[in-house]
Amino acid sequence: MNTPTSSPIDKRKALLLIGSPKGKNSSSYALGGYLLGKLEAGGMATEEMTVAAALQSTENQHRMHKAVDAADLVVVAFPLYVDNIPAPLIQTLELIAERRKGRPGVSPSAGPLIQKLAAIVQCGFPETHQNQMAVDIMRQFAKEAGFAWAGGLAMGMGGSVAGKSLEKAGGMFRNVAKTLDMAAASLAAGGSIPEEATALMARPLMPRWLCVLAVNWGFRNDIKKRGARGRAHDRPY
Amino acid sequence: MNILILNGGPSGGRGETCRLIKETVADESRAKDHAVTAYDLYGLNIKPCQGCFACWLKHPGMCAIKDDEEPILRSIIASDVLVWVSPVTFGGYSSALKKSLDRSIPSLLPFFAKLKGETHHPQRYDKRRNLLAFGTLPSPDAEAERIFHSLVRRNALNLDSIMTESRIIFEDTAEAQIAGQVREMFEAAEEAI
Repeated sequence: MNTPTSSPIDKRKALLLIGSPKGKNSSSYALGGYLLGKLEAGGMATEEMTVAAALQSTENQHRMHKAVDAADLVVVAFPLYVDNIPAPLIQTLELIAERRKGRPGVSPSAGPLIQKLAAIVQCGFPETHQNQMAVDIMRQFAKEAGFAWAGGLAMGMGGSVAGKSLEKAGGMFRNVAKTLDMAAASLAAGGSIPEEATALMARPLMPRWLCVLAVNWGFRNDIKKRGARGRAHDRPY
Repeated sequence: MNILILNGGPSGGRGETCRLIKETVADESRAKDHAVTAYDLYGLNIKPCQGCFACWLKHPGMCAIKDDEEPILRSIIASDVLVWVSPVTFGGYSSALKKSLDRSIPSLLPFFAKLKGETHHPQRYDKRRNLLAFGTLPSPDAEAERIFHSLVRRNALNLDSIMTESRIIFEDTAEAQIAGQVREMFEAAEEAI
């Protein structure tokens, strides 16, 4: 389930948790995986795992906890589900927080926060601000579980990445790649995501009207392809 | 009125206050001759949404996964008042409640439409409802409380609810006080319908 890509003992470690049920075929992974690659290029040892795999068995949960314990930086990449983070990711965060109860940094009077946590969230809506609650929840998790909050990157129109790697996704994603490069450079140096990167990620990829047109055309086309033409508005209950 | 209660609290521990809230809402509803349906979500077999969009594209309005969520979805669609109860979890809902909410997207249409200045998925059904959300916390936490109230407001926008109220109840609150707070919110919901 987890894929260590490099792990020399003296390197700082970064762990990517992929919160999309589509795992490595997801837009969340396209974003998180790109960042992880840049962290590795910046000298960090990297590891990645999907939340779905982590929840599959007790053995996998142990592996996840071990990887979280060993990480200097945990990056969580996920899609927005109903204004919030997807349920299996909440379950994973509940498990992590429960295990870390009583550790340094978890209570306000305890020691310094050594491990950092950053989040990448994307939604299909054109408005980036629809991701704000998910970013707030991740920041609150960091506080309750004893991580230092390293910032969140939120992206609208994330469906347009369509699971493609950013290198192959084309010029429309130039600013997204630039944002992740900036974030990786700062995180690899032990810093947080720069405000400039957060602002750049929030920029729309295309005008709102064009996004709505493209998404609605895409849905109509997919409905036809999947044999449900004329039934999109069905009310089965 | 049809009252639907979704309880996302675990059995015991932090779920104890959730159970009290759920029972108080149910008692209050029955006393006023409303029909009540309540689900304790932790004990149910509800698998997580896979994001496959089959409920929008393949068999519109119906989820591809057949488990305990299906009767809940039917109950949501038939409800006049939807009541969510959950331990406040990092400011949001427990995974048990969220799993059920993630699986409720067949009640929406896939298309993008403008609602109150933002892009949202329109409702599949005409019926609208009131939303009451109760979050429980062991002690005051201003940021967690702010996130919870804001999240409920965001969800209300997506549900296009008629009236929405959210309330934080601390886990050391006396039973009689909980009953008072529940009654207050419930009466507001009744008036709005």
